[in-house]
Amino acid sequence: MADQSNHIPTETDLIKGCIDGNPEMQRMLYQRFSSKMYGVCLRYCENTEDANDVMQDGFIKVYKSLGKFRAEGSFEGWIRRIFINTSIEHYRKKIKLYNVTEVQENTIEDTDLNILSSLAVKDLLNIINELSPGYKQVFNMHVIEGYSHKEIAEILGITEGTSKSQLARAKGVLKKIIEAKPVSNPANRNK
Amino acid sequence: MQNFKNKLYNYESPAPEDIWDRIAGELQNEKILDVPLHRRSKVFFYSAAAAASIVVILFASLFIKHQGQKSLISNGQKTSSQLAIKLKDSIRQNQQILESIIHDPIEKKDIIASDVNEENKYKKYLTVAGPEGQPVKISQKVATLILYADNEFPPKPIWSNKICKWQEIMLSSTISPTSANLVDLIEMAANSNNLE
Repeated sequence: MADQSNHIPTETDLIKGCIDGNPEMQRMLYQRFSSKMYGVCLRYCENTEDANDVMQDGFIKVYKSLGKFRAEGSFEGWIRRIFINTSIEHYRKKIKLYNVTEVQENTIEDTDLNILSSLAVKDLLNIINELSPGYKQVFNMHVIEGYSHKEIAEILGITEGTSKSQLARAKGVLKKIIEAKPVSNPANRNK
Repeated sequence: MQNFKNKLYNYESPAPEDIWDRIAGELQNEKILDVPLHRRSKVFFYSAAAAASIVVILFASLFIKHQGQKSLISNGQKTSSQLAIKLKDSIRQNQQILESIIHDPIEKKDIIASDVNEENKYKKYLTVAGPEGQPVKISQKVATLILYADNEFPPKPIWSNKICKWQEIMLSSTISPTSANLVDLIEMAANSNNLE
């Protein structure tokens, strides 16, 4: 006979349990997704304090909105979207996106981005965190999360052209950072 | 080598311990546990209200329709019974009048004739109500024939047959006699006889 205490609840069990207000299920849901979502928070936020605030607000929103989850996509994707939106809301209160002129996308070659692939994830995170919040949001949403410029424009309340401009400038800044840092050269980093 | 996008996308970092305490505290303080249930019950309430409204409207329309049919049937029954009574009365009245005219002695007919208005005495044609109540223009001679259709006098077999038929029609007519129909006709006929 299987031990009930070792039973790992499925996502459906977790969702149902949280909707029913089961504190144990709420804690288990947090434990299952907290590391991933904290990673998202750190990518979007300027510092750990903001990331902690977004983490707290994001999970409260998740618990409150669980009844709306229709299982049309992955549960993790749904939670991730809540955290991205919470991060954006958090920064919208503090940060105003720079007004930039529209420029052509992909001013940086893909080979430049391939340099990033050779870096360790913590170095990547440090480099991205050096971007201004506006650039970081657009870069994260487009390059990492795969949002289209149209979606970014709708979420951030900017035009598609502005989104493209922000991304182009973000890439330009990244290039400069990589060139300036010793981590940009994996060979140097390994010495 | 893992792509940098995947590295960043799947990046995980353990959250500080106190975050869960803060979340749990907020969950307890704000009692948000009731929110989904509240929302669910709200949705249930609206759905139930909508369903109840539909049922009420349906039953109301069915009730109104049923009542309408009942009323129509009732009205129809009432009307037909009234018509039957009217018809019976009308036939009975027609028959009585005609029988009295046909079988009354000639003296009485003269008495009737004496009451006829002066202005009608010299009219060549008379307008009377027909078997179905329609205005019929007849001559005084025809009126005389109708009056004496009981074959007492003068014997006119062809006209008598025709007029007898008319009498039958009039006896079975549902139209009640009026001042402009058969009584007038008889009076006119009697009057013209006197003049002759």
